[in-house]
Amino acid sequence: MAHCERASKPLLQCLRNTYSRGIAGAQLQTRAFQSTASVREPEAETTNQPFHKAPDPSLVTSPRLERRLLRQGTAPIGSRRRRAALQDSANIPFEQLPYQCFQEARKVLLADREEKLKEIETMRQRLARQESLSVEEAGGEKAKKSRVTAMQLHLERLKILADINDPLVKRNFEDGEGDMSKPIYRFLADRKWREYRRKILVQRITQMKVIPDVLPHCDPVVDTRMYFGKRQVQAGEFVEARASTSAPKLDIQIFEGGEKLVTIAIVDPDIPNVEANSFDYKTHFLAVNVPISATSTKVDLSKLLEDSQVVLPWLPPVAQKGSPYHRLSVFIMEQKNSRPLNFEAIKAKETSRDVTLRTLQASYHLKAIGAHLFRTQWDDTTLEVMKEIGFNGANVELRRARVEPLPYKRRNPSSFR
Amino acid sequence: MKSLSPALASLANVFRVPMSMAPARPSVSRVCHETLNRQQQKPGPVTAALQSASFSTTGAMAKRKSGGSTTDKRITMIRYFLHHPLTPRPLRFSRNRYLRHWTIHRAWQLFQAQQRRKQELELMRQYQSMQEACEELRTGAGDGGKLFRVSMNKKGIFTDMFPIEYARMQTETPPAEGWNYDWKKPERK
Repeated sequence: MAHCERASKPLLQCLRNTYSRGIAGAQLQTRAFQSTASVREPEAETTNQPFHKAPDPSLVTSPRLERRLLRQGTAPIGSRRRRAALQDSANIPFEQLPYQCFQEARKVLLADREEKLKEIETMRQRLARQESLSVEEAGGEKAKKSRVTAMQLHLERLKILADINDPLVKRNFEDGEGDMSKPIYRFLADRKWREYRRKILVQRITQMKVIPDVLPHCDPVVDTRMYFGKRQVQAGEFVEARASTSAPKLDIQIFEGGEKLVTIAIVDPDIPNVEANSFDYKTHFLAVNVPISATSTKVDLSKLLEDSQVVLPWLPPVAQKGSPYHRLSVFIMEQKNSRPLNFEAIKAKETSRDVTLRTLQASYHLKAIGAHLFRTQWDDTTLEVMKEIGFNGANVELRRARVEPLPYKRRNPSSFR
Repeated sequence: MKSLSPALASLANVFRVPMSMAPARPSVSRVCHETLNRQQQKPGPVTAALQSASFSTTGAMAKRKSGGSTTDKRITMIRYFLHHPLTPRPLRFSRNRYLRHWTIHRAWQLFQAQQRRKQELELMRQYQSMQEACEELRTGAGDGGKLFRVSMNKKGIFTDMFPIEYARMQTETPPAEGWNYDWKKPERK
């Protein structure tokens, strides 16, 4: 430990103690912004032992102690300069920082929050009263339903408005520590997704014509990420045939509360059909009754249950040599009213992989809520994969049929001579 | 020395513009003028005439693929002023300070929204109370609404000219001299 540190340490400890006592007093007076108590580091433990015996990774500055901490397996937090600055800081929690304007602003925000909480309470009571009314009293089924829906929407909005001005919520969300079971974090995540990622996704699926080709319409409301192994695949990226031999993992983030049952389908609309001189559809994967919620987002397609979820198991996509690239479109489709579909009936019926997704969507009342896309084309590993899965036509190279130019477009027609 | 408004004075301080007319830092207009002059001296009369076309901001020479300068003078000038040593550095906050700034900003926005809402409600209340008074006059005066009809009669009002006293700006507060009880509408001549 440096000399100056050793010399100033008692003084600093003294200062720190007085500060913390003062803060404890202040904490009793001012209510914390959030209902959940902010986490504070326990200071009593560190004072029992001398600092050099149990160095704090957020305060250690001397290289010797840092090395010891590293050997123990905990890396020091932040830069050494920051740690040195933290040593003699009062470590006041953010919401109690003694800036006058900031504190006045917090008072305004807290008052607003109190008001919003009261409004939420009254809105809940009104909603409960409205729901308990009979149809005759409410003036018809339709009127009652519309009123209840409007009240629910207003309640959700109030819940978000109560928390949206909280700097700690903003900080937590920016740190990625947002609790997705709370509406405010779901709202913030949804807004962030819509700002960039959703725009990219919609652009890809429309520019690559997945939208009119596979499904007539799709308005994505869930954020979907796809991983082959550990590698994330951006929407529309080319994936090597070797990488896509095993089923991908999906990360489906919904921004609403509650659990949903979804159907996941991966469809390739670009199987070349030489006889008809056109392209066919092929379903590479189909699973029903997959539960997702805002907090449980991970879906590993290879680990779904064979006996109750997977209708058509994963078929590795391969593109024949010379064929244009294949668009493998992933669709997350919500089942109607989140009711489970009859798995046995579907399993018995959907044995063919050639059924289009439009047919499935119509027959099982599905609604596309999320989409993703990757592409595949002939590459160095395709041939091996074809042999592994027993693809017939591995030795075929497709070539474009020569289109005879129209007579008036011919370079050197006989009429010129 | 000329006295400036506080906002102008603070701006002048930030940009180190002395209050006298000789600037220490080259002023935007002077540098722009010089650069553009230098640019315009080169091309011949034909291109100069082409360049003066008002709808295009691209120089005729710059538009050609080969020949002519490829550097855009505007960009040069933006870069010049952006990296000038006297340009104040951009505002950068630490995380905590940014969050405090954000908190204060949100509180200010919220406060303003609350004020606007209060004002709107007050206006609505005033309007409704006026409407109620009129309704009361119409139904409750016991003369079959005659008084109401007469009071609502707009005949001869603002048909020829406005009294100049009416040309006062609409303001939130009453005028400084209060209500002039002696004022009469000037008679038509």
